[in-house]
Amino acid sequence: MEKDFERTIEALNEIFPLVDGFLSEHDIGDDDALAIRLAVEELFTNLVRHNSGGRDRISLALEKEEDRLIIRLTDFDVDEFDPSKIAIPKVKRPISERKVGGLGVYLVRKLFDELHYEYENRTLSVTATRDIGRKDVRHPAS
Amino acid sequence: MFDIRRAENGTVMLSGRLDASQAEKARGILATITESCAIDFTDLDYISSLGLGVLLEAQKRLNESGQGLTLTNLNDHLADLFRLAGFDILFEIQ
Repeated sequence: MEKDFERTIEALNEIFPLVDGFLSEHDIGDDDALAIRLAVEELFTNLVRHNSGGRDRISLALEKEEDRLIIRLTDFDVDEFDPSKIAIPKVKRPISERKVGGLGVYLVRKLFDELHYEYENRTLSVTATRDIGRKDVRHPAS
Repeated sequence: MFDIRRAENGTVMLSGRLDASQAEKARGILATITESCAIDFTDLDYISSLGLGVLLEAQKRLNESGQGLTLTNLNDHLADLFRLAGFDILFEIQ
């Protein structure tokens, strides 16, 4: 599945039905489905927020290769944005020390096996890969 | 489709999918809460980081006055996500 979407948060209302159709078509279960929906939203909304000056639409591709699920987002004609520089939230700290926000990329890194960013010729590509059937959502690592 | 409403007993009922496009709707209702109450997740299928942030924001505000939110009836998938986010030590979860 590959399609491009308007650079708005509201585009999620168009994205989710397509993602759901892909998950159903490939008979992907609930554990993986939650992780995939979450990663699509977090990565897409990151591009919308951090490259708000961009004018082109954002491309989303979902592929299933044997037992691997690949999410690829491509953002055109944008300034470089390196999500790896986003501060890692301190999830074991008491509430007085917790900050609101910053959880999105952290959760994607926890739920996916690989997360890569590439930037070339003002084009940013984000690729997340997950082994289908991982049980980390049900039994998350500490 | 996402919905949030308060039941007669004060419990906040969530349903559908709380994604980034619905976070402001949730924030608006949670901002009206001034005393401890339960949030029922029975009919909530999905939540993303922005939704989690809205809950954390409300909990921080309520804790300052000795109040707090109790999260109830999370399905296994959401409960695991909350644990990954460290919310199991920030909220009472039933």
